[in-house]
Amino acid sequence: MNLETVALVVLGLIALVTAALALLVRELVHTILWIAVFFVTLAAIYFLLEAPFLGVLQLGVYAGAVTILLLFGVMVTRKRIFSREAAIGIGPLPLATALVVVVLLTYSLGELPQGPTTLHSYAVQDLSLQLFGPDGPWLLLLGLTMMSALAGAIYLVREGRE
Amino acid sequence: MTALPSGGFLLLSSALLGIGLFGILTRRNFILLLIAIEVAMNAAILNFVYFAAYDGTTGGLGGQAAAVVIVGLAATEVAVGLAIVLALNRLKGSINVAEATTLRN
Repeated sequence: MNLETVALVVLGLIALVTAALALLVRELVHTILWIAVFFVTLAAIYFLLEAPFLGVLQLGVYAGAVTILLLFGVMVTRKRIFSREAAIGIGPLPLATALVVVVLLTYSLGELPQGPTTLHSYAVQDLSLQLFGPDGPWLLLLGLTMMSALAGAIYLVREGRE
Repeated sequence: MTALPSGGFLLLSSALLGIGLFGILTRRNFILLLIAIEVAMNAAILNFVYFAAYDGTTGGLGGQAAAVVIVGLAATEVAVGLAIVLALNRLKGSINVAEATTLRN
């Protein structure tokens, strides 16, 4: 067992535990702290997968911007920031649905070649060439989506609208 | 160039999707619903990044490019989601999605 495998196991366990805790704890502020740890752990996994640009993007966009946005959302929608949520009743149906999806996906892993695989790394320059070359339309579409989302968000939060 | 067990990342990704799905089905607070959707989307991004590293040809870069686009889309979705949270809070005084039933009748 090499060092990378140990790192993958440890980071994977941290990611699973923090994601589960984020959705199970009753205080919303604690949820956001756990989800921030989850985002940072996933960034570390991207570095392990030799995708440093995506790791930095994950840290900047998710661990930075999305966490602050969520915290802001909690801040403006409650009178006392540390008020507790109602406990969730873990019903059999949601748990069963999630378990069936995980089992089906795990079963489909058998189709892939097993054993250790060599991971390949790419230069960031090649990624930018890909993004602004063959995948240019997707980037353009993303920009258009972001523009319309900005307009929609401003319309939604405008004051004095019935 | 590192060698890692191929099943590990995909197992992690499917487990994260399961956790996200469970959150979407159980939580009624809009912000928690958004967080559950983010967990599920991160599972998808992890899959894209893993298969990009798995492929090794220049075509594999498409996976990383798709991951970049999805990160942008997810951030946009959170921004619009929080605008909806603010509007819902102003209209109903609560961000419980079970109470947002204006269009039902």
